[in-house]
Amino acid sequence: MTVIEVQHLTKRYKDTLALDDVSVSFEKDTIYGLLGRNGAGKTTLMSILTAQNFGTSGSARVFGEDPYENARVLSRICFVRESQRYPEDALPTHAFRMASLFFPNWDQAFAEELIADFELPLKTRIKKLSRGQLSAVGVIIGLASRAEITFFDEPYLGLDAVARQLFYDRLLADYAEHPRTIILSSHLIDEVANLIERVVVIDGGRILLDDETDAVRSRAATIVGDQAAVDLFVTGREVIHRENLGRVASVTVLGDLTADDRAALQASDLDVAPVSLQQLVVRLTQHAARGAAKGDPR
Amino acid sequence: MSRTLNVVRMQLANRETFVWVPLLILGSAFAISMIIWGILSSAGVTVNMYGGGAQAPLWYFVAVGVQALTLTFPFSQALSVTRREFFVGTMLTAALTSAILAAIFVVGGLIELATGGWGIGGYFFALDWLWTSGPLMAGLFFFMLTMTVFSLGFWAATIYKRWGALRLTAILVAISLVLLGAVWVITATRSWGSVMEVIVGSGVSGLTGVLTVLTVLLAGGAALALQRATV
Repeated sequence: MTVIEVQHLTKRYKDTLALDDVSVSFEKDTIYGLLGRNGAGKTTLMSILTAQNFGTSGSARVFGEDPYENARVLSRICFVRESQRYPEDALPTHAFRMASLFFPNWDQAFAEELIADFELPLKTRIKKLSRGQLSAVGVIIGLASRAEITFFDEPYLGLDAVARQLFYDRLLADYAEHPRTIILSSHLIDEVANLIERVVVIDGGRILLDDETDAVRSRAATIVGDQAAVDLFVTGREVIHRENLGRVASVTVLGDLTADDRAALQASDLDVAPVSLQQLVVRLTQHAARGAAKGDPR
Repeated sequence: MSRTLNVVRMQLANRETFVWVPLLILGSAFAISMIIWGILSSAGVTVNMYGGGAQAPLWYFVAVGVQALTLTFPFSQALSVTRREFFVGTMLTAALTSAILAAIFVVGGLIELATGGWGIGGYFFALDWLWTSGPLMAGLFFFMLTMTVFSLGFWAATIYKRWGALRLTAILVAISLVLLGAVWVITATRSWGSVMEVIVGSGVSGLTGVLTVLTVLLAGGAALALQRATV
């Protein structure tokens, strides 16, 4: 069942096109990775879906309705943004109490568990919290709201590796018990690769890729072995990455490997290694950017 | 409706902003006034002493109005509150706290009138001209003044959020020019005398009426701008 339907959505700021004719849909009870570089349009898309911002043209429907000023729809979604602002003089407990007022599925016990997990100080005013602790507040609201559609906008900023893993673990465990649609925007792609079921890659305001994570992985393969044999095999294929170590080459090529390909690889004593999702997304993004005059070298 | 009332509860989750700080300011201003009057009284001053300290918490309400929009509005959006729910709930919260302050103002004034200014002729709440139309009107005036000041902060912050500092400044300049134009017309037609007559003649109730119109204009403007304000 489709819960979000976006059609020909365009968002234009004065001289930049933040979203360029985006059409995409999101299914019920699925974890999505909304991946892309900074400024790709991730936050803009999520803002429009939650009626925090407005499209210039096109439509965005959530649960079949326009979310703008629509409490029926909005009460079923939660979007804590990456640079979320809070009433600064409030304590984290105030923020959680406020959240509990508006989310019908709010689970206070779960919130308290998460507070303990993230070691969030409850007696510190929000304006005095560190970047990581602020992220934890957003993560806790997002998780404990149990909203039918929950957006996480790069929720890990300032969180250390342990805290990030904690977030991923808690998200997955809670999702197993309470399935819902999760849209997780991130550029730490490999970290979330095992979490997300579908990948939506956005770049320069356009949807570059929208597919099952597993299918995306099989879109490319890395061929490892003797340099001459590797070169022979990849001739005529689209190479997206190459590394050499002595006489051993490791070359990443696009495209599914056929049974014939696999036989040929075995005959030439070459190994096939899976490509990381991050590698693939990075290469795809660069590939799409090729031709653009000059990119930001990040 | 319940979601709108939840916005009131949300604004009051941290009572410090809307309740305790204004009361603290009012209490401190009162205490300081009393100390000063005590000193004067012990020095042999016997005339009535009027303090203007009761308006002290009002100015804080500009800041409350600004913060309600710049900080609480973005958070309310994260909590999936509609703009209408946020606006109505926030104005209700302001009305509630304005009413509390106005009630204190009236009760304080009544005590002052009954005790002859705490026995030493010190009037903090019962300012002479303000109470000419009775305690109820004085309370209503105080309530409306608080609402006006809150709406002013809320309105300015909304305009700023929607259109940025440049347009807010432009609007403020435009309003100033309109007011100056009015002053010029009154001066050119030599009608200051009759204008002052009208102002004095309209009394506290007339002034309260003007504040009500001002509040409605500011709040209405804020509501319109909020319709398409982005986080």
